[in-house]
Amino acid sequence: MITRVRAMKPQELAAAAFRLREIGIVLALLVVVVFFSIRADNFLTASNWQDIAQNVSIVVVVAVGETFVILTRNIDLSVGSIVGLSGYLVAATLAHHPGVPIEVVALISIAVGVGLGLVNGLLVAVARIPAIIATLATLAIFRGIHAEITGGKNITAYQLPDRFLSLAASKPLGFPALAWIAVVVAVIGAATLRFVPWARDFYAIGSNPDAARFAGIAAARRVITAFVLSGALAGLGGFLFASRFPTLDSGAATGFELTVITAVVIGGVNVFGGSGTILGVVLGAVLVATISNGFTLLRLDEFWKIFFNGFAIVAAVAIDALVTRRLQEALRRRRVALVSSQPQAAEA
Amino acid sequence: MRGVAGRVLVRWETLLVVAIVAVGIWSVTLSPFFLQRANLLDLVTPYVFIGLMAFGLTFVVITGEIDISVASTLAVSIVSFAQIFAAGANVWVAALIGLAIAGGLGLVNGLLVGVLDLPSLAVTLGTMAAYSGLAFVILSGEGVATFPEGFTKLGGGYLANDELPVALLVMLFFALVLGIVLHGTRFGRYLFAIGSNREAARLSGIPVTRVRVTVFVISGLMAGVAGLVYVGYFGSARADAAQLSLLDIVTAVVLGGVGIFGGTGSMPGVLLALILVAEVRNGMQLANFSGQLQNIVIGVILLAAIVAGNVIAGIRAGGGRTRPRRSRKEVTSNAPAETQVLVDSNS
Repeated sequence: MITRVRAMKPQELAAAAFRLREIGIVLALLVVVVFFSIRADNFLTASNWQDIAQNVSIVVVVAVGETFVILTRNIDLSVGSIVGLSGYLVAATLAHHPGVPIEVVALISIAVGVGLGLVNGLLVAVARIPAIIATLATLAIFRGIHAEITGGKNITAYQLPDRFLSLAASKPLGFPALAWIAVVVAVIGAATLRFVPWARDFYAIGSNPDAARFAGIAAARRVITAFVLSGALAGLGGFLFASRFPTLDSGAATGFELTVITAVVIGGVNVFGGSGTILGVVLGAVLVATISNGFTLLRLDEFWKIFFNGFAIVAAVAIDALVTRRLQEALRRRRVALVSSQPQAAEA
Repeated sequence: MRGVAGRVLVRWETLLVVAIVAVGIWSVTLSPFFLQRANLLDLVTPYVFIGLMAFGLTFVVITGEIDISVASTLAVSIVSFAQIFAAGANVWVAALIGLAIAGGLGLVNGLLVGVLDLPSLAVTLGTMAAYSGLAFVILSGEGVATFPEGFTKLGGGYLANDELPVALLVMLFFALVLGIVLHGTRFGRYLFAIGSNREAARLSGIPVTRVRVTVFVISGLMAGVAGLVYVGYFGSARADAAQLSLLDIVTAVVLGGVGIFGGTGSMPGVLLALILVAEVRNGMQLANFSGQLQNIVIGVILLAAIVAGNVIAGIRAGGGRTRPRRSRKEVTSNAPAETQVLVDSNS
């Protein structure tokens, strides 16, 4: 009997809870798809699926970076501003120098993101400013820099070379290019979190910052790394954003951080850090983007999406907290059962 | 102990006063009209609604929580008020209902945080979006702009020979009342105790849940009051009202010396910080800074305020450099949390 009780280790119980989460999202996704298929005429068309795939892709790319940050018990509110600024710089570069190779422009975009992410990381890890305040400030600062650069002007699709504009629409191997990029980012992100030691530290830091430090983890450096990666992926997201929505002004991607954070939180990443998977985040992004698409098809106004995102964050956090508490309660009971050597109690 | 903490508070607030004078001198070099009595009295008027929300947020932050939904709460409150007024209700009745709605939205935050024990950052990030969406659902498009003069006086009117802005009086009134509640009542001391160490506060018999719910209701109500002043000042109610004011609100609170991890802070500090923010914005307008450039400066001030607080805390803790963050409580801005609590429970 005791072996049966021991058969379910805490990690396994936690893993079971996460699988439950991912199954839950898939079920929710099914419900949403069925609902919109019935209610919205164009939902089940190939072009609409491609639309969703492209939108999901940008969210996923940025959300993977945000996941790194949230795992360390921090938050990055500035990703929307980074996407906007780097996206604008991509478009501006191509508009003024149409000959620059696309790859170089993408690298510039990522480099901009790295720089801005580094600023966030230094503010949080070195200057010891809480991430919520630091990135609230840099959200405004980056957006301000963006507006100063544009000077009220915007860049339209007409100014951009065709090879850039065709990028978002291209479909290598029958699959949208943006989606390929998102898949690559998600796979690398998941593999990094699973296998790379410094990325494992993200979990350790988020679970218990003090314990992580006492265990010898260079917490400050890891937190900077997480913010730099978040910035880099937001930079890449800006490049994708510019190719998908080639008319950019100083307000580009405003509020995008909310969509990203909604995807991450719905995807099961604990807002207190320490737990969460890229698979969950990808599913969360798909759910958010599908619902957003459905709202558009039903001709609901933009603000219904904002309302839904906010509601979803609160709901996901509430469900998370309830599940976590149940889990802890269950673990505690099992421990009590083991100590008192009365397996029957655990069965009850 | 009282002397030590007292001196630190004075020192932070002295810094603010010095900064206010310095920015004042800069402003005078920009415009000779700056020092005219009418201009000085009107300096803060456009920022009164920000100050009122900052006062409410101060209560929340001192208990160790955050409420970033205040600006969205304001938006829902004023569009509801506007719709009820447009439907033919008396303007004051509509205003009261608007206030009640703001308090209700604060109560929702409070129940989620206090009773369900969810993290306030995630909750109010969510309700910030949800409320903002709700405001547009209630009133999308043009907005309402036909309020009677008797009402708009609250935000845009003047007393005493058309010199004294009513809004300024409203702000000072709430600063005084909330300052007394915060620094002179048992409820106020509960806030500091909970912000310093929630578990210890619970064990010492403080009704922690009730207090935490209450501070969010206060924050919501203050957003409602701010909304009425906002409508009075700008003369219209729109769903996107005050959307960009969160940066200034948080800056006023943090710059005012309220420790971001709870347990420390003072109402006079926040009031001084608001005056400073208003003065800096005013100066930048005189210097023809664009709105976005102004935001960059305010953002930098927000960051600098926390760094300065950390440095001061580090110096006070000895060693002359900021100490590594061992626990959440050690990075509070201007006084160690423990000191503050002792002082507050002794007074």
